[in-house]
Formats: sequence, C-alpha cells, structure tokens
Amino acid sequence: MTPPTDRLPDDPPETPALTALVELRRAAVKPHAPAELQRGLATLRSRIASEGSSRPALIRGALFGAAVLVVVLGAVQLVSHFRAAPRAGSERPPVALQRIEGGALVEGGYLAEAGRAGIQVYFNEGTRFVLQPRTRGRLREITREGATLSIEEGAASLNVTQDPTRRWAIEAGPFLVTVKGTVFDVSWDPTDERFDLKLRRGRVVVSGPVVGGSIPLRAGQHLAIRLPLAETVITETALEESARDDSARDDQNHEGDRDDSGTDLRRAPPRTMPPPVSAAPGRAVPPRRAVASRSPPDSSEPMLGDARSASARPWPALLAAGQWDRILAEAERRGVEATLEQAPTEDLFALADAARYSHRVDLASAALLAQRRRFPDSPRSLDAVFLLGRVAELRDGDTARAMAFYDQYLGQAPDGPYAALAMGRKMILARDARDLAKARRIAREYLVRFPTASYAAAARALARGP
Amino acid sequence: MPNRLSRAPLALIVGGAPRDASDAELAAGLIARQDWALGETWRRFAPMVLRTAERVIGTRTEAEDVAQEVFYQVFRRARTLRDPDSLRSFVYSFVVRVLKSELRRRKRRRLLFLGAPSAADDPLDATAADVESRELLLRFNALLDRLSPRDRLVFVLRRMDAMTIQEIAATMDLSISTVKRAMAHASSRLTHWVDTDPGLAAFVESKGGRSA
Repeated sequence: MTPPTDRLPDDPPETPALTALVELRRAAVKPHAPAELQRGLATLRSRIASEGSSRPALIRGALFGAAVLVVVLGAVQLVSHFRAAPRAGSERPPVALQRIEGGALVEGGYLAEAGRAGIQVYFNEGTRFVLQPRTRGRLREITREGATLSIEEGAASLNVTQDPTRRWAIEAGPFLVTVKGTVFDVSWDPTDERFDLKLRRGRVVVSGPVVGGSIPLRAGQHLAIRLPLAETVITETALEESARDDSARDDQNHEGDRDDSGTDLRRAPPRTMPPPVSAAPGRAVPPRRAVASRSPPDSSEPMLGDARSASARPWPALLAAGQWDRILAEAERRGVEATLEQAPTEDLFALADAARYSHRVDLASAALLAQRRRFPDSPRSLDAVFLLGRVAELRDGDTARAMAFYDQYLGQAPDGPYAALAMGRKMILARDARDLAKARRIAREYLVRFPTASYAAAARALARGP
Repeated sequence: MPNRLSRAPLALIVGGAPRDASDAELAAGLIARQDWALGETWRRFAPMVLRTAERVIGTRTEAEDVAQEVFYQVFRRARTLRDPDSLRSFVYSFVVRVLKSELRRRKRRRLLFLGAPSAADDPLDATAADVESRELLLRFNALLDRLSPRDRLVFVLRRMDAMTIQEIAATMDLSISTVKRAMAHASSRLTHWVDTDPGLAAFVESKGGRSA
C-alpha cells in the first residue's frame, strides 16, 4: 500500500490500518476520461436547456404559488389519510424494475435476450422499454426517480410514464436522450454511426456530438444524425390522431410553451410543413440559445421594432421549441433587410439557424455575416465563422470558401467549441477533393488533438491509408 | 437575399479564446449566463468536483449525480457570487453543500428504509480493480456511513483531499476549533471501528497494511 504522505503533526493519531484504508480509497478514485467528462457536460447542458425553456416569471410565480397551495392541501390530505389509515403508505413509491420479458438482466446491467423476439422491460410506475430483436442494451442505473438505459447497438421503443419529477435517460451510442413523459423510438447503429429518434408524443432533449449541445424535439419530429457526415436532419412527420390526443394531455403540463396571447406555440400548425431540413454539424439547436433566452436583454442592443410584441417569445426560445418556421415568417413580415440591420445578436443567430434548418442558405449566410459585421466582439461572431463554412458547403459546394472559413476559425479559436468539427470537415473536404496527402496530414493531427471526437473513425481510416 | 451581404468581408475577432479566461472573467460569463462559461467552468472544475464527490460518497455514479447538481446550482446562482476572483471557493462551497445534503439524504434513507441496499452495494457500479480491494472499500464505506455527515466531510477533505484545517473551515463555514474537533472525533471513531473489526483488520493485513 502507498505510505501516507500528507498527514500533519496537527492531525489526530490514527492506526496504520486506518491510514492504509484512507490511501486505498484515495487511490481507488480514478480520474474521469475526457469522453466521460464530455458526456457529463452534455447532460448538464441538456438539463439546463430543458428546465429553462423560458417560462415567464409571472407563470413561474403562479406555478410556485400553485405548488405551495398543492403542498398545503396535500399536507392536509396526508394528515387525514394517516388518521384514516396510518400504515397505508402515502409516499409515492420509488421507481423499481417490475419484470423483464424475453430476456434477463445479467452482470453489468446488460439485458440478455432469451429468444429472438426482443426484450420488454417493465417498471412499477408504468414505463416500458421494448428492445427490438438483437439490440444490445444495458440498464446502467435505476434510481428512485427513474432509470438510465444504454443502447449500444440496435433499436428500442420507449413509453415513459409522464411525471415531471422523474428522471429518465436513454444513452444511444454517444448521444443522451433526456425524457419526461414521452413515447418514442430510438436506434443507434455503431457501424454506420447513425442515430435516429422518432418522437411520437411529449418532448425530449437530445445531446451529444455533432448536435453541439442539445436539441429539444417535439412530438412528430424525426431526428437523424449521421456522424461520419456530421449531418443532422430533422423532419416533420404526420402525427397520428391518438398521438395528438396524447400531446394535448401533455400540453397541460407545458404552460411555458404558450405565448402571452394564449396561443400554444408547440401545437400551432406550421404555415407550411417544412421540408426535410439539414442542419450543419455542431449546432442543430445549440443549448446556449435556450439558456440565453432566459437572460435579460442587453439594453445596449437595438430591438427589432415591434417584432417582440408580434412574437411574444424570443426567437432563441422559438428555435429551441423547433418553431423555426415562425422565425422565418416573422423575419419576412418585418422585412429581411430591416431584420438583418436591427435584430439583436441572439435573434440574428436564431434566424441563421432557422434558415439553415429550412435550407435557406442565402438567408443563413446573410444573417451570419450580419452577425459578424454588427457584433464583431461577441462570442457569436466567432461561432459564425465556423457556421459560414458549413453554409458555404451547403450552398453551392464551395469547398475552397468553406476551407477558408474553417481555417480562420481554427486560427482564431484552436480550442474553441467547434475546433474538432472544423478540423474534421477540413479533412473530409480534402478527402472528397482527392487531396489524400492533405487529408492524411489533417487526419493525423486530428487524432492527436481529438482522439475520441466525431471524426476520429474517419481520421483513423485515412491515417492508415493504402 | 442580396448577394452583396453574402460577400461582405469578414472582420477580425477581438478577444482571446474562452479557455484563456481568468476565474474572474469566467465568473462574469456565468453571471451573464453565457454558454461558453458553463462549458469552461465544467472543464476547469469538474475533475476536482468529481474526485472529491467520489471520495466522499464512495461510488462513481452518485459522484456524477453530485457533480451535475453542483454545476447546475453554480450556474443558477452565479449572480450571488460576491468576489469573482473566488470562483473556485464558490464552486467548492456548492460541493460541500450538495455533499452534505446527499449524505443526510442517505442517512435518512437508511433510517426509513431499513434493509434497503446502499449505493455502495449497487451491482451496476464497480469501482475497485480487484475483489479484495473492492471488499475493503465496501467495508470502509460502511464505517464512513456511520459518521455524521459533517465529520465525514471533514475527515475526507482533510485526509483524502489534503485540504488544510483552515481551508476546510472556510469552505464549510465552520470555526477552526470545530473542524479540529470533528477531525479528532472522526479519526478516533474510525480507528476504533477498524481495530475492533477482525475481518477488516485481517483484510488490511493481507493487503500490506498493519493494524496497531
């Protein structure tokens, strides 16, 4: 055992056995790997994004008041309940595994399939996980408040009983899905590095690589992420009637999604159903928008006329709610030129994202350039450089221009949040242009700097080379 | 969209990368609720928070939960930070607060749900490399569970995180004499429990330690 090294004369005496135990425990704590830390940060961002979906202060106050009232009434009811049945046990039972069909829980929490019909996992409060045949899944954790399912390969359908106090999470490859009450299908293909999530009811927040932080999804949306291409695609799918009905019930618990006029922003049908949209890597719906939406507006920034009154929710909040069609419509109503000249920095960024998601790359480019021209010192300005590279790729395959933007970003922010993505895109562009010497050079540097990031597999393949 | 805008030259960025930020700049970023500040705060302090939490609690999974709660609170309450230069102490104060609350919760849970498995028995959570060490750690954790949350925190911060008595007093908002008393109390009780547990003494012996 390691001898004690840092006991001081002031410390009370202790036996060598206790000292040995202290040293053993200290040595047993290993530092977290970078990937674990990254996942922890993604979880934190996801929590902040999902819990801070800009609920107005008045509503929060009202909810708090209502909660106090409920607690008081609950306490009264509890007392009377105990008087009537002192041992009935009124506390909500903790989440517990009820039964597993089609398989068994084995060492390490892995779910071993008994036949070829998949596995069904039932919890005592009604939540059900259905793992498709040949899916490799693992129950990483079961707490009093929920559970964490890890899908290492395959697909699963999940029906999570609605309860805002519970904490359920699904890990699919490098992605983390934070859920409340929802019904959705999720899959992860480690070979093609493809993640798919179809949300049938409720809301989830997805975080992980490529998305850059977290993407809040609403019912009817399908998120597909292909890591090798760093491509994020969100499509709208028709909702089944039953799902709509279920969503209506869900909506009663999401007052924050209504604007001041009482319009339900989440359920308001889009003016036009958006086509399949492709988001650039790194920022499908960055969490900072949701976070920033709660920040007090910067009084030094010009406001966009009466745009605020027309759209009660800030654009970043609309973006976080997946309502980018509303942002575009609002920008057009106010006039695109006026918007570009007057919108605050956060709104410009939301507009750029909304335009990218809708494949309006000219508008996205203009918004990003306006961002850099009008707010050159803001953190967004640096982000815009990377995104301009993505837009250059999307608009007309202008790889030289995209490369220049990525180079500029890497030069100005070598450790920036998009450094790995910028270098990865440079590598892919060089490879696609058949400049293999350059691609390999970038790949080797990439592996040194970002050995576990999104493009690591592609970099390894290139670095091996023929 | 007019093309002239899309071809506008790019301006140079002023200012350094977030990773160069001082603690004071980081605190300012947190107060302004800027996303980069959250990421950088996590990058800078999460390893320390996770390590301390795991040493206090004894399991990696719960330490991760503690870290999540700590940084969530730091982000939410950044505005209450009085001295931006003392961000590290600010973070550590939440570590102590959350850990104390978690230890109390675990104690209540043990009292209310007799026989419920402790986190250290969680079959999904394996920390130690070999069976003997794991067994030792589980038994030692059970002894630490018998200490009061305050004594346990003081003992772990002093003996495993190598904090000075003065630092512990400042972080836990206790007087120096109280910290010294808590440390002496924890040490004497643990020493007594270890020495009177023949199984544990034998294990320690077999691992190379010597009981007094």
